[in-house]
Amino acid sequence: MKVRLKCWNGVASWQWVANDDNCGICRMAFNGCCPECKIPGDDCPLVWGHCSHCFHMHCILKWLNSQQVQQHCPMCRQEWKFKE
Amino acid sequence: MSECSLEQLSAAWNALSVGLVPPSALGLAAPRPSTGESVVEAHLKSALEVLHLYDLHSMVEEWFTEVLQMDLQRNIAPEFWNGINQHENAVEEEHCAVLLLDAFRLLVSRLEPYLRSLDILAKWIDTGLLGSSDSQMLRDKVYTMFKAILFFSTSSHFQDMIQQFYSRTFKIYMKQRKRGDGGGGGGSDSSMNENERESDSDERGADEWQCPGCESSRDQCWCLCAMGQFQQLSDIFHRLNLLERICSDAVTTILHKMIEERMEKRCRGEYERSFLGEFQEWIEKVIGWLSKVFLQDGTVPPTTPETSSTLKRWRCHVQRFFYRLYASMRIEELFNIIRDFPESKPAIEDLKFCLERTNQRQQLLTSLKNALETRLLHPGVNTSDIITLYISAIKALRELDPSMVILEVACEPIRKYLRTREDTVRQIVAGLTGDAEGSADLANELSKADPVLENGQESDDDVSEAEDWLPDPVDADPGKSSSKRRSSDIISLLVSIYGSKELFINEYRTLLAERLLHQFNYSSEREIRNVELLKLRFGEAQMHYCEVMLKDMADSRRINSNIRDEEEKLPEEERPPFNVVAVILSSEFWPALKEEKLELPDEIKEVMDMYTKKYEKLKAMRTLNWKHHLGLVVLDVELADRTLSFPVSPVHAAIILHFQNKSTWTLEELSEVLKVPVASLRKKMAFWLQHGVLREDPPGTFTVIEEEQKDRPEKVVLIDSDEEGDSAMASQADQKEEEMQLFWTYIQAMLTNLESLPLERIHTMLKMFVMTGPVVTEIDIQELQSFLQKKVSDHQLVYSGGVYRLPKNSS
Repeated sequence: MKVRLKCWNGVASWQWVANDDNCGICRMAFNGCCPECKIPGDDCPLVWGHCSHCFHMHCILKWLNSQQVQQHCPMCRQEWKFKE
Repeated sequence: MSECSLEQLSAAWNALSVGLVPPSALGLAAPRPSTGESVVEAHLKSALEVLHLYDLHSMVEEWFTEVLQMDLQRNIAPEFWNGINQHENAVEEEHCAVLLLDAFRLLVSRLEPYLRSLDILAKWIDTGLLGSSDSQMLRDKVYTMFKAILFFSTSSHFQDMIQQFYSRTFKIYMKQRKRGDGGGGGGSDSSMNENERESDSDERGADEWQCPGCESSRDQCWCLCAMGQFQQLSDIFHRLNLLERICSDAVTTILHKMIEERMEKRCRGEYERSFLGEFQEWIEKVIGWLSKVFLQDGTVPPTTPETSSTLKRWRCHVQRFFYRLYASMRIEELFNIIRDFPESKPAIEDLKFCLERTNQRQQLLTSLKNALETRLLHPGVNTSDIITLYISAIKALRELDPSMVILEVACEPIRKYLRTREDTVRQIVAGLTGDAEGSADLANELSKADPVLENGQESDDDVSEAEDWLPDPVDADPGKSSSKRRSSDIISLLVSIYGSKELFINEYRTLLAERLLHQFNYSSEREIRNVELLKLRFGEAQMHYCEVMLKDMADSRRINSNIRDEEEKLPEEERPPFNVVAVILSSEFWPALKEEKLELPDEIKEVMDMYTKKYEKLKAMRTLNWKHHLGLVVLDVELADRTLSFPVSPVHAAIILHFQNKSTWTLEELSEVLKVPVASLRKKMAFWLQHGVLREDPPGTFTVIEEEQKDRPEKVVLIDSDEEGDSAMASQADQKEEEMQLFWTYIQAMLTNLESLPLERIHTMLKMFVMTGPVVTEIDIQELQSFLQKKVSDHQLVYSGGVYRLPKNSS
């Protein structure tokens, strides 16, 4: 007997490769979106800092904008730099 | 007093007494005179003057009534009733009528002298000869005496006779009128006449030789004769002022019976046309008969105010009775009428008209409630049917009562009952999206898209005109504003069965997810349209999740085609051996998917990993979690003598793939490699057994059937019809349980900090902390109470003195 597969319609869910489930700023799931957004994924991406913490991009930008002097990671207080 | 004057007085008294009353009444031997022997009034008058001299004139009146009463009691009444009771022997109706008339003729001949004297006395009173002032009083007294003594109690036999007689003449009269109308009526009401004639011919068809009026053969028709008797009898009654006393009952009964019969025959079960006009005309004819009964002479138009007011009263009575009876019948049939709506709209309109004139609202409510409970709200009826009927009821009762109060009150049982059915929400949502087999009502209603905005908006401006304002009926629930009640449409009524739209939207989401994951066609115009329509109704925010789901489908399609393009560029040998396409979900936005374990064969996993790699390349920092058990696999099974093609679920595919390398497996071995429990695996095996690819021999061991054995009888293996694997979604109950668990952690924390709390406080606090979160979950106080009650019975909570606390030992 031989089985020939023609097409496999699978179901999968995507997820961010991050070391946490929730954004440290808005406490929403990474796989969801920040409170401002409606659509997860491309429209509400994550960004990583050098300190290896990650946040919703919109959340961390808001945080950084609110910091007058120096920009720190809200989790570890190290200087914030975007990881390329 | 002198001898002479005494003599004179006695002579005068004699003259008067003999003149005024028949001699037999005075105990004299003289035979009762036949009527017509006129007493000379002048003679009597002079006698009265003599009495006047002695101041005895005032006694005359009293004496007259006394004598009349005695005569009635002793002679006339027994004689009359004897005559009537003889008729028990008369079986034939015609005969009966004759005897009835005879009895009354005799009666009137006996009373004739008194009536004549009454006239004389009245005249004397009016001219002031008798001292008393009111002749009408004397008349009333005499007529009352007739009624009181003669007809104080009438035998049922007598009443039957009267009734029989009147109903006969009624019939004859109606036939005559009909014939007259048919000939002369002409065009004006031709449609109605047709109807009449139709039924006429029905009756006539029964016996060609029977007169429709008197129901005896045509050559012996006594219609005319009966009408003559009727005329005479009416005259007698009128003369004795007995009309109302004797025939009201009979006439009322006849009319009621006739209306009832006619309605039974014409209207029952017939909802598609209005009967009001037709009956109105019929009633006018009946009034014609009544005028014959109650007016002395039918030919003279009703001129005196008394008679015309009598007629007016009767017309009013007949109409009212008709409305009431008609309304009762329609109320009784309301369930059917609702079921047939909108075809039954004329019936609803008729009923509305009648209800405005009769006081039968309460009857309607009780009867409809009863009908609903006995015919609809029991386990034998499909939920979808209940919903369909409820929708009809909404439409029909809105027609009947624009204030929607009847709907609200009568349909409360339906709503209550639907709340107890588990699949209600699902059915309604299915109806909304046009998936229900039955009606497309709801889908239509939805696409009408008359968005009901939830809050605000309820301004007073839309109460158009002050003059148009109507108060709500008394049975309205004062807690609800009338404009809200009036404006609620079918969908909002259905949605409000559960009180919250959350539940509906969740259910819709589940259904949507199920459909998307079963179809795999990635193009979902219809779904998009539905979501847009629902958005109009429930608002953007509520439908947000569904939008993301649909976007996922569109994105998946794009990603799939991207990856396909990539693959095309690869050299032949590096391409995957088969196509993998995936639906890629944003897990946070889809309803909870059922988790099932399934270990796919390595070659499949390899291809999937390749797909994942490509995805990761496409979308940086993201990866895929495959739900191995979900999906749809199209495959060919090539056997020695045949090739079969199937679309199957991944489990089925995995099973058959394993049989490629080893043609015999035991259930346990398979369960081992697939990581699927034996019980559910056995169910899945049934698919392949049924399609004749595998056989089970001995039990628990499966082998490929390479060559079909024609001679062996087809072994039919029934697939479990309610395979729970059908739905990809976790069940509603599971989800609820999970939500409750969330609440439970909060409750525990609360009680740890505050020791003890009453139910209301817990609810308020939950509302404050939990229900404001991003994932809005709702819990009403009853739900919470039953949840806490369960925890109490599990000894996880203590309830005493109206407050909940955690048990001591646990802390």
